[in-house]
Amino acid sequence: MAKLKIKGVEIIDTFAEAFPMVGTRIIITAPTQKWALIAAQTMTGFATSVIACGAEAGIERLVRAEETLDGRPGMAVLLFTMDVNKLQTQLRNRVGQCVLTSPGSACYAGLEGEKKLKLGASLRFFGDGWQMSKVIGGRRFWRIPAMDGEFVCEQTTGLTKKAVGGGNLLVLGRSHRAVLAACERAVKAISEVPDVITPFPGGIVRSGSKVGSKYKGQIASTNDVYCPTLKAAVNTALPANVEAVMEIVIDGLSAPAIAAAMRAGVFAIAKGGAGEGITHITAGNYGGNLGPHHFHLKEIVA
Amino acid sequence: MSALTLELRTNPDQRIDLSPLTPSALAGMKSKDIEAIAVGTAHPTLTVGDVFKLKGADAAKLRFAGTSATCDFIGQGLTEGEIVVDGDAGAYLGSKMRAGKIIVSGSAGPLAGASMRGGRIDIARNAGEKAGGIAVGEAHGMRGGRLSIGGRAGALLGEKMRRGLIIGRGGADDYVGARMIAGTILLKGRIGRWPGYGLRRGSLILDKEPKDLLPTFGDCGTLDFTWLRLLDRELKATGGRFRVGYRARRLMGDMAVLGKGEMLILA
Repeated sequence: MAKLKIKGVEIIDTFAEAFPMVGTRIIITAPTQKWALIAAQTMTGFATSVIACGAEAGIERLVRAEETLDGRPGMAVLLFTMDVNKLQTQLRNRVGQCVLTSPGSACYAGLEGEKKLKLGASLRFFGDGWQMSKVIGGRRFWRIPAMDGEFVCEQTTGLTKKAVGGGNLLVLGRSHRAVLAACERAVKAISEVPDVITPFPGGIVRSGSKVGSKYKGQIASTNDVYCPTLKAAVNTALPANVEAVMEIVIDGLSAPAIAAAMRAGVFAIAKGGAGEGITHITAGNYGGNLGPHHFHLKEIVA
Repeated sequence: MSALTLELRTNPDQRIDLSPLTPSALAGMKSKDIEAIAVGTAHPTLTVGDVFKLKGADAAKLRFAGTSATCDFIGQGLTEGEIVVDGDAGAYLGSKMRAGKIIVSGSAGPLAGASMRGGRIDIARNAGEKAGGIAVGEAHGMRGGRLSIGGRAGALLGEKMRRGLIIGRGGADDYVGARMIAGTILLKGRIGRWPGYGLRRGSLILDKEPKDLLPTFGDCGTLDFTWLRLLDRELKATGGRFRVGYRARRLMGDMAVLGKGEMLILA
């Protein structure tokens, strides 16, 4: 069978294995785009992987002032965890510590859905009895007095149980510089896709992991078969000329959103062609037995 | 199918109770049966046929024409559909209504929208006292929905209101928002004495400072309010015809009671 190549970059015939998650979206607004971004970045900080961060979160997109409920500039943020209780705790803690505290901020539901997560419904208690509720257009908002005025926060936001975490692409290349540049392009392309985030630093993971370790209590450890410095010692997955591998991890509100993001990512990576130093695009899986969602690269690019 | 229209023949010499005439009650009824419905409040008992001339058949959109201030309880307890009143309405217009829409081209009597829970009432001209107030037998005033008054409202507008929005474009008489528990009253124009008397929570939003302010309201100064932006946008989207902006002077009160309400005087 002929190898699948895009501009000389080989697309390995494999699949990304992803997991069901629960997810939500909120819209943060502020007096300026700068402060909406600061609140959103703070809220989504330390949220790369549920393994140790409690949640995976990221900025989905910038929301123009004309699109927001209060007519001020905003940011859309996505937050994911493995179950609803954890999502509720993470949402309360992150909005409470990072958005409520941010100058001039307000926070609104960003997702409809029958199931709701408390937003202002729990944060209102910060108001110590001075909080006021307002129902506007059938939606309940809390006004919580703060030192710079009032923090306005919607009562609830929706959640989805159809979210998917762990969509991924592995990028192999002949130089660190080439792989980083290609991944940056991919992250930018994925940022244009609705309903997804790339939760790792700048959207890129350099330390892909495998399950387990030789050490007791270490649940994940370095993915040695993809480490270029270990080519000679392990059952390496890397051709001799590959110097660096980076991974893009994608979380989304639905499986089709992940597929669309992976597709955008693959084409952005391959855009420079093999001449730029990218040799292969592959994806991470655990043999297909762990995650119910399989995104086959062949089908993604078809 | 054209709207079911009830045109007043002559002004009856007694008050009439039109509460039985709602879209859901009249759905599927024959004109003959509708004409037999009693609407009188004294002897001899008047029926719809005695008082109104019927036209059209679609009761989902009910129209009263040529009505006067003696036509009480129009749309009381309305749960769906639309009632258009070409003329004036008497007392209790749309009181205790839950959903649907009532549009009045003239004025309404006392207790318009009293204890209403939802839906929308638009009165083009004036409303009598206690609009959005407490209907007989109810513990609270308006509990949801929107009441719009194009002209002037009488005294005790929104008395003991708990939720919902009242918009008045032509001012109001004394005791606006008296004993209000929560909700929002938006008022343009000259208003009478002691607005916010006994205000517990809730917002009175006024376009200018009232002449006679209770001494139990405290000044918090002029501030920006994000929630006014939400209200402004909602009004714009739903034909509220009222610019709120986002800046207002906040007076808190009534300190004689709970004191967590506010009078926002738009900047």
